[in-house]
Amino acid sequence: MLKFCLKRLAFLPFVMFGVTALLFACLQFLSPEMRASLYIKDPRQLSQLDAVIEKYGLRKPVYIQYGLWLKQVAHGELGYSETAKMPVALAVRAFFPATFELTLIAFIPIMVVGVYFGVLSAVYKDRFIDHVSRFVAITGYSLPSFVLGLLLLMVFYGKLHWFPPGRYALETDMLVHLDSFRHYTGLLTLDCLLNGEAEAFVDVAKHMVLPAATLLYISVALLLRITRSSMLEELSKDYVRTARAKGLPESVIIRKHALANALIPVVTLSSLLFIGLLGGVVITETVFDFPGIGRWGVQAAQQLDIPGVLGSTLLAAFLFVLANLASDLLYAIVDPRIRVGN
Amino acid sequence: MKKLSDVYTLLKRRPMSLLGFGLIGFFLTVALLAPVLAPPEAGSRDAYIIPQTGYSPDPVRPSKDHWFGTTEQQYDLYYGMVWGSRTAFSVALQVVGFSVIVGILLGGAAGYYGGWIDELLMRFTDVILAFPDIVLAVVIVAVRGPSLENVMVAVTAVSWPSYARLMRGDVLSVKERDFVAAARAIGASDARILFRHIVPNSIYPVLVVASLSMGRIVITAAALSFLGLGAPVGYADWGQLISLSRNWILGSSGNPFEYWHTVFIPGIAIFLFVLGWNLLGDAVRDILDPRQK
Amino acid sequence: MITHNKSIDLILVAVLALGCLPFPALAAAAKNPQTYTYLTISDADSLDPAYSYDTASHMIILNIYEPLFQFDKTSTEKLIPLIAALVPSRENGGISPDGRTYTIPIRKGIKFHDGSPLTPEDVKWSIQRFILIDRAAGPSSLLMEPLLGYASTRGDDAKILPTVWEDVNKAVSVQGDKLILRLPRPYAPLLTILASWAPVLSKEWAMKNGDWDGTMLTWQKYNNPNKETSPFFERAMGSGPFKLDRWDRKTKEFILTRNDQYWREPAKIKNIVIKGVNEFGTRKLMLQAGDADAIYADRPLLTQLQGIPGVKIIDDLPTVEMNPVVFFTYKINEVGNSFLGSGKLDGNGIPADFFSDKDLRKAFAYSFDYKGFISDVMRGKGTQATGAIPKSLPGHNPKGKIYSLNKKKAEEYFRKAWGGKLWEQGFKFTIAFNSGNLPRQTVCQILKRNIEGINPKFKIDVRAVEWPTFLDAYKASKLPIFVMGWNADYPDPHNFAFPLLHSKGDYPMTQRFKNPEFDRLIEEANAETAIAKRKVIYAKLQDLAYEEAPQLYIIDAVRYRTQREWVKGWYHNPIYPDSPYGGYFYSLSKE
Repeated sequence: MLKFCLKRLAFLPFVMFGVTALLFACLQFLSPEMRASLYIKDPRQLSQLDAVIEKYGLRKPVYIQYGLWLKQVAHGELGYSETAKMPVALAVRAFFPATFELTLIAFIPIMVVGVYFGVLSAVYKDRFIDHVSRFVAITGYSLPSFVLGLLLLMVFYGKLHWFPPGRYALETDMLVHLDSFRHYTGLLTLDCLLNGEAEAFVDVAKHMVLPAATLLYISVALLLRITRSSMLEELSKDYVRTARAKGLPESVIIRKHALANALIPVVTLSSLLFIGLLGGVVITETVFDFPGIGRWGVQAAQQLDIPGVLGSTLLAAFLFVLANLASDLLYAIVDPRIRVGN
Repeated sequence: MKKLSDVYTLLKRRPMSLLGFGLIGFFLTVALLAPVLAPPEAGSRDAYIIPQTGYSPDPVRPSKDHWFGTTEQQYDLYYGMVWGSRTAFSVALQVVGFSVIVGILLGGAAGYYGGWIDELLMRFTDVILAFPDIVLAVVIVAVRGPSLENVMVAVTAVSWPSYARLMRGDVLSVKERDFVAAARAIGASDARILFRHIVPNSIYPVLVVASLSMGRIVITAAALSFLGLGAPVGYADWGQLISLSRNWILGSSGNPFEYWHTVFIPGIAIFLFVLGWNLLGDAVRDILDPRQK
Repeated sequence: MITHNKSIDLILVAVLALGCLPFPALAAAAKNPQTYTYLTISDADSLDPAYSYDTASHMIILNIYEPLFQFDKTSTEKLIPLIAALVPSRENGGISPDGRTYTIPIRKGIKFHDGSPLTPEDVKWSIQRFILIDRAAGPSSLLMEPLLGYASTRGDDAKILPTVWEDVNKAVSVQGDKLILRLPRPYAPLLTILASWAPVLSKEWAMKNGDWDGTMLTWQKYNNPNKETSPFFERAMGSGPFKLDRWDRKTKEFILTRNDQYWREPAKIKNIVIKGVNEFGTRKLMLQAGDADAIYADRPLLTQLQGIPGVKIIDDLPTVEMNPVVFFTYKINEVGNSFLGSGKLDGNGIPADFFSDKDLRKAFAYSFDYKGFISDVMRGKGTQATGAIPKSLPGHNPKGKIYSLNKKKAEEYFRKAWGGKLWEQGFKFTIAFNSGNLPRQTVCQILKRNIEGINPKFKIDVRAVEWPTFLDAYKASKLPIFVMGWNADYPDPHNFAFPLLHSKGDYPMTQRFKNPEFDRLIEEANAETAIAKRKVIYAKLQDLAYEEAPQLYIIDAVRYRTQREWVKGWYHNPIYPDSPYGGYFYSLSKE
């Protein structure tokens, strides 16, 4: 087991090296002028393009820049992100917890709703509930997230004034930045509760309802589909037929036997689903003005903020490897056949 | 494999599958008949550029002159929708096609040969999978400019690993089956075994996933257009058309649904397209699944 | 007993539940009367006035720091003294008869936000620092040019020039309570430049925080710095009506608080929040709900903001910019250039010197639909530009000659162009615009449509490119035609004439055109201090530019402001950064 974990973790630096090397290879196609465009935004600065290129060493060949960057990273220095206006490491620390919190808050309902209705759809296959839940899931799956997001904003913020965009209101903003406010977990909702600030908690939670709802609606289809097909497979297996023949009540069959086995792929895929969700929040963050890592990552890429892009890519790669490891571990835990042998 | 008559019986029992075929068939017809349904302007060098009547910013509701109304900057929505169906198929087919081919080749090789080939290929797919796809798309577009080709390249570049992994898994399990051992015992060559036995038997999950992904690609393209990375403004692409609705979703002060058509019309097309492919994918899976009757 | 408790419980729950739901804003009463919230889309670069060049940063700087002079309310010409005790002029002796020495008394009794007094030494140090920092692509040359006579502290080899320190100290010095500025030659716009770009920072505070101590020994360390090394990057020590509370780069937010010890009447609003919200829909909803008092919104979105209860629109606000402008590249760089087609006059491309032909440029000039652009894209707001100098500045000639859409004349010039060969052969090339810019895109589309309609052998492709690609192609002079604009650095016609028409100006350098007559007129107007005489020279310049047509000017644009009705005290000055959206918050109040 331990050997298995270690072996997987050993791939982490390889993957991260591979990802960043690939990125730098893409950068090969960018001329120094293009890279300088990060610093030149106003026509009044156009005459200074060469000076900027000299200042930031943008004429050096890409492999040299990669080497320099690697050296920098080896010293624990990730560079400075122009788009975030702060060092990359700080930017990651600033943006990631927000995205993580949002994803977590969306993930739990997604799992619950997806699994529940997936099972229901499988058990009552081809009946009304099956068609309805699959149809609703598919509508979410077929809508671009920003359309959904803006429509939700229009109704629940514009008309009803219930759930605003952004991270928090001004009072909460001031409160959270006081020295007396302790950040225990990095998850604002939890931290508000731990600091005993009930109003702030409600405010932060309110701001996450709409983005979480958007994520939920868009993503639940996948989970529902997996659960449903997995459950269907289980229900068609011999042991279920035998149990039925023996006269066991249907609910017992489902709960005790089929469900556990059907959930194996769901559980093992859950970490990957979570990572997929993390990756998919970009547009949701943009629409709801949510200060997360998706919004920053894309902005960095659009403006060719190389240190920023590298920073967010490294994080993504790291999380991905972690998620895969988690998935494999879960698989091994859940399915005893895998542990022995292999 | 089933007989055609079995397939027909199967489909008849699943009206949803028929709906899937119907939807895709409808869009396919529109795509094929595009030059007839929405003739391009005389002298236009690229039929995919939507004609504009004037340049005023406000979208106009559907009317006699513009059956589906116009978008921001007066692009004719009807023209955009008709030619957009061509774009949708073209993008979806090309991206999924290339991804599947690359995935089958690399995944098949990895699964079949095993050993260091497998390790190398799988680590390479790991690196690609770990790469945040939007970042890659953005960088490609920053270098080469917003265009559908670049979007397709970017999306293909990050899509093939899933198919490769899937293919590899299937090949691994099929490899152990009796008929493969038998073929080998007779002395069949690697290539023959691979192509005549392994691939046909392991390809079904790949095809199912592929058919399900078709719709997904359109959503991804819409997402990239939303970020300003997809087809250039004025190109007949549903995603691009929806991104033009972005500033108008809230309508005007008196009427929140003033510009409903800019969202709804491309939205419903994307929705039905994805729905069709989903249902089709289910039908394909049902057809290919030997346990279903 | 139990029922009684239960009903109280129910009432409590109901009250709590209602408390969680915000009540819709009543139309009349201002929401958050102590706080003014402005939603923008741009990110500020740095709060160091010597470093940043962008409008977002300078809008914040405008409210936290104070320069020697300020524009008098809505005027872009009249100055009032701020840190200075009076505005120097020839009449009051503040400007010497030869125009090369300025004596500026400094007001007494002004304190920085930390209570320390503002002295003439702070003023001298701030101006010297502004020049000596000289970071690449920064604003230092704006003061360096008039005060030292050259535009960079570094030579071509990127090494610091030997005479800089001496020159700076000769130019900027203190005598008692007066600041003395000595110029190499007269420079008419100096005072407006000082008003726009030279706020006073606290030298003491800077030194305490690791910045330059004002001496010769150390200044070179601070030349061409990285952004984040300056203590003024994200913190401030100024004397203005507002203090910087915090710049939260995570949530893209500035929070300013009122300076209650301000040397004039303190501001009426206690907190200013400037927040970056990229999504228009979100900005609109926040404005509608009263959570924002003013938002950034440009011309195409006007119809969505009209008729919202409680929201006022103020339109027809003049600007100090010339945008969009069509530029022709006289000598296009052919290397690796995909915009040129075949590169020859064979109907499938254009040669590198295609636009060096004046008849061709005039043909293009007559092919653009100026009125249509203004009526369609700008919704009829704004007037056609009459030359390079915008309407809001002296030197603008309201009777200047203008082009208009004239298909017959266009055809006439196309037939004349290139000795008649053009009409037979036709041409093909690509116009690029930087994606995301709607007016520029429409300009390209209008040109394409109209010109292709004149002769089917004329083919123009319009292509969107991302900013990095655009910049790259622009710098290398690869774009046959490019559409750009120019925003004023300071409200003087020289700031438009030079970059647009002087052979050493940014645009002519990229266009690779040179007109010695233009140069002569521009230099003459810059040295001349009598306004009436300058106007005559600029009128002549713009007439010549009309004939030569190196660029096509399209519109003197106006902008509109969207604010809640309860916002009072706002006035328009087009030179304020980010006007009319952000601007100067000192005069605002909410009722």
